[in-house]
Parts: sequence; C-alpha cells; structure tokens
Amino acid sequence: MTQQSDWKPKLLGFLCRWCSYAGADLAGTSRKKYPANIRVIKVPCSGRVDSLFIIKALRLGFDGVLVSGCHPGDCHYLTGNYRARRRIAITKKFLEYLGVEPERLQASWVSASEGGKFAEVVTEVTEGVKEVGPNRLFSERKSNGTEAKTGS
Amino acid sequence: MEQKLRQEAKTLLEQNKVDRIIGFEPGSLKFTATPLITGDKNDTERLIINPFIVNNLADFLTGIEGRVGIVAKGCDSRSIVSLIQDNKVARENVVILAVPCPGLIDLAKIERLVGKNRDELDDITRDGDKIIVTVDGKKKEFSLSQALFDHCLACELPTPQEYDILLGEPRPPAPELQTSGQNITKLKETLPTERWEFWKNEFSRCIRCYACRNACPACFCQRCFVEETEPQWVMPVPRWQDNLIFQIVRNIHVAGRCTDCGECERVCPVNIPLRSLTREMYNMVDELFSFKSGMDKEALPLMAHYEQEEAEDLFR
Repeated sequence: MTQQSDWKPKLLGFLCRWCSYAGADLAGTSRKKYPANIRVIKVPCSGRVDSLFIIKALRLGFDGVLVSGCHPGDCHYLTGNYRARRRIAITKKFLEYLGVEPERLQASWVSASEGGKFAEVVTEVTEGVKEVGPNRLFSERKSNGTEAKTGS
Repeated sequence: MEQKLRQEAKTLLEQNKVDRIIGFEPGSLKFTATPLITGDKNDTERLIINPFIVNNLADFLTGIEGRVGIVAKGCDSRSIVSLIQDNKVARENVVILAVPCPGLIDLAKIERLVGKNRDELDDITRDGDKIIVTVDGKKKEFSLSQALFDHCLACELPTPQEYDILLGEPRPPAPELQTSGQNITKLKETLPTERWEFWKNEFSRCIRCYACRNACPACFCQRCFVEETEPQWVMPVPRWQDNLIFQIVRNIHVAGRCTDCGECERVCPVNIPLRSLTREMYNMVDELFSFKSGMDKEALPLMAHYEQEEAEDLFR
C-alpha cells in the first residue's frame, strides 16, 4: 500500500467508563507518553459496544478501532465484559474473513490502575495500524486513479 | 407421508390442540409450493410434502398468536429450536410435525442443467439417488449433487431432533458433509484485499430489497438498524458500502441463531453467495464457543451466556 509521508493514523477508542476510561485518565495524570492518534468515546460498559459501532467507525474512515474494558471478572455490571468478549471475538474473526486487516480492530482489558498499560496498548495499536496503512476499505476508486472519500 | 400429515393436521385442529396449521400447498407455478397458514380443518386436504417445499416456515412463527402446528424439515426445526432458546416462541405453543427431509430440488440448478425454463419441463421426480427430469417426452437423469440445493448437500440434520409428531422414517445426515464450504476454503486462500474486493463486487449487485432479512427466521427485530434514522447507520440507497455493512452486521447480529438454513441465499434476487457468509459464521461460532445453533432447546442463547476463560488470545 502506498503511504503518504504526512499520513497519521486516526484511531477510535471505545473505553468503558469504569476501568479503561479511568486508566486513560491515569495515563494522563501520571504523564505517560502515548501517540495522540486516538479519539475516545466513553461507553458505560464494553458490553455496550455493538459491532455496528465498530463497522460504522471504519466506514467513516477511522484507520483502526480499539475497544477496551475491565478485566474479565472485574466488570462493574458483573458480566458485561464477558458478553463483550464473545461479541468482539466474533466481529474480529468475521471481519478478518471478509478481508479487513486484523490490526484494524483491537481489544484490550485495561483497569483503572493501569495507566501504563493503556499507554502501551495505544502505542502498540497505533504501530499496528501504521503498518497496514490508511483505511481504504470503503473508499471509491475513481477511473482517473484518484480517490474520493465516501464517509457520510 | 402426505396422507399422515393431512390426518394429523386435521385431528389437531378438530381436537382444538392448535389454532393454526402452517404448512405447504401447491404453488401457482409449476414445481413450486407455497406456504399455507390456516385454521380451517377442511384446508388440511391441500397440505403437501414434496421436494419443492423450500421455505423455512419457522419465519412465520413469530408473527402468529396462539398455538400453532407447524410442518418442519430438519433445517426448519433447528430454526424453531433457536426461537425457543430466545424465548420468542413457547415450546408448549408449538406442535412440530416433523418431515424427515431427503433434500430439496433446486429449480434454478435444473433449469441450468436442462437449458430450459421450468414451464417447458414436463416432470421432475426423484428415484432413490437420481433426479429424473422429463423434457419433451425424454427422460434425463441427474445426480443429487447436481440437482439439490447446496445447503441440502451439507445438511447435518435432515430429520428434526425436536418434534411432536414424526411423519416418516428418520434419515441419515447428507453424505457430502465434508465437501461443504469449498467456496469458503477457496476464499480463505486469497489475500485479504482480494477477499474484500470479492465481496465489494458481489454487493455492488445488491438492490437492498431486504429479502434475505425478511425470509430469515433469526432476523426478528421489530425495528432493524438499517431503518433507524437517528443516528442513520446506513444510507437507504443501495451503494455497495452500505449494502456490505448491512449484511456484515446482519450476520453478526444473528450469530448463534443462524442455523445456515440457506434461505437468505435462496431468496436473493441477484444471487449473492450469502451462504459463504452464514456458513463461515456458523463454523466460527462452533469453533470459538463450541456452540451449534438450534440444536438444544435447553441451551442458553450464544450471547446470553459465557465461559470464564474463552477467546482470550484475541485480547491484549
């Protein structure tokens, strides 16, 4: 894939309000450095994340999506992240089968005390997405070779 | 089998054990059957069982109130079990009239084989493992793999596991089980970009008629996400991007409910190979979570339970 030198990956993160969002906060307050490529949406629970959100994010042109929640067993709602795990596993495998690079959908467990892990995860995810290049999955290739963004 | 069905259906209605019978009657076109939903015991004389009863009748169950007697092939029975798992249908409100199914004849395949329209064919019959088509007084023989639906060739459960009245002798699973999913294997050998390109091409044909969704017994949402306007998840006009998103999300939403009955592919007016999606999802769910859709009515739905340890390799 051709990459423009000024291209910076754009990531969307769905972070659970109880663990990962607080983890991201901690990463900030403890001055951990991580790439500023991620935009964050706070969700009540990782179990709130429908596969539709993930695919819509890719449709809108995000280069990668990160879903992050409490560690299994630590869910504020007891079982939300177990349900998220099934759903995300299926979404990830299915998208991979369809031809979406697996790097584009990543998932992690980050607790409120793991600011360092959050910084690490974002760094790794950003690196992974940089490797696979810009998301052109839903772009329309025009006959003259240029591309038009079709995000609605 | 047909006589027994008529008899049983009549008795059920007479004894007031059910309010409605869902079955098949002869269709208005040659070699077709059409769903029959009736509460009149005289109508039961019109009920038929033949190799053209293609619809998955479980789709009608969620729209009918009261107790229902339903004619079910193996695949239909799995869809019914799946609806019971999801509490969409109460077991005590359904009387399953089980048809041990030898496989259904794919008219489109026959038309292609013979090179003639269905109206020009005189007769299609089955004799053991041969399908005999009569055209212009001449008989032509075809093998089952040539003439049956692909999903019938890969059928795991020809005879319903869950039933109240069994209408014939149980049948063994299809012998070609192993060779099913050749298309999927081929697709998996290609590069991710080639696969995406493949689906992009296929879904450029999609006209978003939603026949796949409407024929699907597992798609029972009162309001589908494609019709939501705030937010508008997909555009209503059929562009390939939105068509593909619709089908991807539909498949993920019915994961664990989809029994790979093949209805979506059969009803697709532009012949998109949808079973290459549903079959893969069906296998994937089994691989990841050892869950086979529509097999055990006591089992919790896929998305309603979990194990302490599973799929952890996909998470950081």
